[in-house]
Amino acid sequence: MLSIRHVSKVFDTKDREVLALHDVNLDIEEGEFISFVGPSGCGKTTLLRIIDGLTEPSEGEVIFNGQVLSGVSREMGFVFQDINLLPWRSVVENVEIGLEARGVEKSERRRQALEALRMVGLEQVADVPPYTLSGGMQQRVGVARALAIRPKVLLMDEPFGHLDNFTRETLQIEVAKLWQQLKTTIIFVTHDVDEAIFLSTRIALFHSNPGRLAKVLEVDLPHPRWEFNVRADERAIAMREYILDYLGVRKDVMV
Amino acid sequence: MSQAELEGQTLPRPRRRKDQEGWWQKHGISLVAVLVFLGLWQLSGLFLNPILLSTPVAVIRDWFQIALNGYLFIGLLEGFREMLIGLFFGVVVGITVGILMGRYQALDRILSPYVNFFNATPLIVIIPLVIIWIGITVNARIFLVFMITLWPMLLNTVSGIKNVPKGYMEVGQAFGFSERELIRKVAIPAAVPYILAGARVAAGLSIIGMIVGEMEISFFGLGMMLSTYGASFQTGHFFAVVLTSSIFGIVNVSILKWIQRRWFPWIAGTAGQNT
Ligand SMILES: Nc1ncnc2c1ncn2[C@@H]1O[C@H](COP(=O)(O)OP(=O)(O)OP(=O)(O)O)[C@@H](O)[C@H]1O
Ligand SMILES: [Mg+2]
Repeated sequence: MLSIRHVSKVFDTKDREVLALHDVNLDIEEGEFISFVGPSGCGKTTLLRIIDGLTEPSEGEVIFNGQVLSGVSREMGFVFQDINLLPWRSVVENVEIGLEARGVEKSERRRQALEALRMVGLEQVADVPPYTLSGGMQQRVGVARALAIRPKVLLMDEPFGHLDNFTRETLQIEVAKLWQQLKTTIIFVTHDVDEAIFLSTRIALFHSNPGRLAKVLEVDLPHPRWEFNVRADERAIAMREYILDYLGVRKDVMV
Repeated sequence: MSQAELEGQTLPRPRRRKDQEGWWQKHGISLVAVLVFLGLWQLSGLFLNPILLSTPVAVIRDWFQIALNGYLFIGLLEGFREMLIGLFFGVVVGITVGILMGRYQALDRILSPYVNFFNATPLIVIIPLVIIWIGITVNARIFLVFMITLWPMLLNTVSGIKNVPKGYMEVGQAFGFSERELIRKVAIPAAVPYILAGARVAAGLSIIGMIVGEMEISFFGLGMMLSTYGASFQTGHFFAVVLTSSIFGIVNVSILKWIQRRWFPWIAGTAGQNT
């Protein structure tokens, strides 16, 4: 359904040239939950932005349902790490942005935005200014904003990176439930190996310098995963160890 | 005694100092300082020639005199109208051109030498030229106010548009806004704090423009009164007019603050946050 073909990205800055991504090839099936995991600077964000059309690849292409993508995709919703809710709009008006850009008529837009807020459990704060919400709530609004356009693909860039452990775990479960309920394809960038294992059907591991896709793993654990303790599951433990070894985390630590 | 009562006794509520700070705690020291200053000024009248400084009591007396015989308000009203027209055009042109320059780099590069030139020039020096162009008329005074208010308005708007947080623009882009929607629905609202700051500067300068125009282009209103009272050593009256123009400036700034509180509460709400 989504095909990433020979995608490379070079950033030309004043003093240096960065090969952020080198020849990435990946096929993503409809309804998958795939996570990108890798060290900082390996190009995860860059790849996600290329998929959405926010960044042009230097080489290669992204094919979505048989069409080569150009420009920002109308069928994908992006959840940014820095949520950047517009402070002059109320929460629900922020959620309406994508619908507004698509020319949805006002009352219909409000209805759909409220529905998206309901999915993340925030319809009661629809009319307040976003800066009065906690970080976790703001991140939920960010998810609602992306869900409101009923995207075929949901792209999430370390959405819970800034949050504390409690909030993060709650939101992980919420995302898992949303995925199960909506059956959307989700591409999820994270640093957190446990988070990737808990959520994903597959995990793509990246190496850096130059950023490249190194390996794709299947996560062979039953759903729904919030019904058992994934972290204590033997298969999950083995997988986490494998990923950490593979990414060289252990090797690099000086003792 | 019940548990609640016990707790009520042992755990006094923390006082919310900031909110409870009364008017007196907040402004008391400023008020005292002003009173001391006025007292010293009044005392200086005992041994200084009143032409030099006059005294607060004399200033108030003279103010009532020119207020009651109507001089002050006739002059003020006409000057005020010119000031508002000049300021209006300065603000509208400044914001419009500022938005375009902030968003389109080519235009910015073409225009910014002129903008910087005019902004750096003390515009009092163009008065003779304004008179040559327009003549000794009301329009010349309006034009002066316009020329003085335009540049700060324009430059602030340009910075506002250039400093729109990148993340805001990306959100707009990612969710499919067109270029026009990006400007109208993201860039302009995000630039409002800068635009309001520009308006505050422009409003202050517009009073200066008005009075200078009335002193240097054609004799009129407050400017004329200042020149006349100054030249005839009526220092009390002179200060009464100065006082009036200060009040005028304070009202201007208060109106802008009110606009910000009323229509842009998010500016105070997000103050000090990273974006
Ligand atoms: N706009 C840009 N201009 C120049 N270089 C860039 C730009 N965006 C990314 N890079 C570079 O590309 C490389 C990959 O960046 P990217 O943000 O994709 O990494 P990442 O895997 O998302 O890292 P992190 O986990 O820290 O978010 C980095 O070396 C970065 O410095
Ligand atoms: Mg990143």
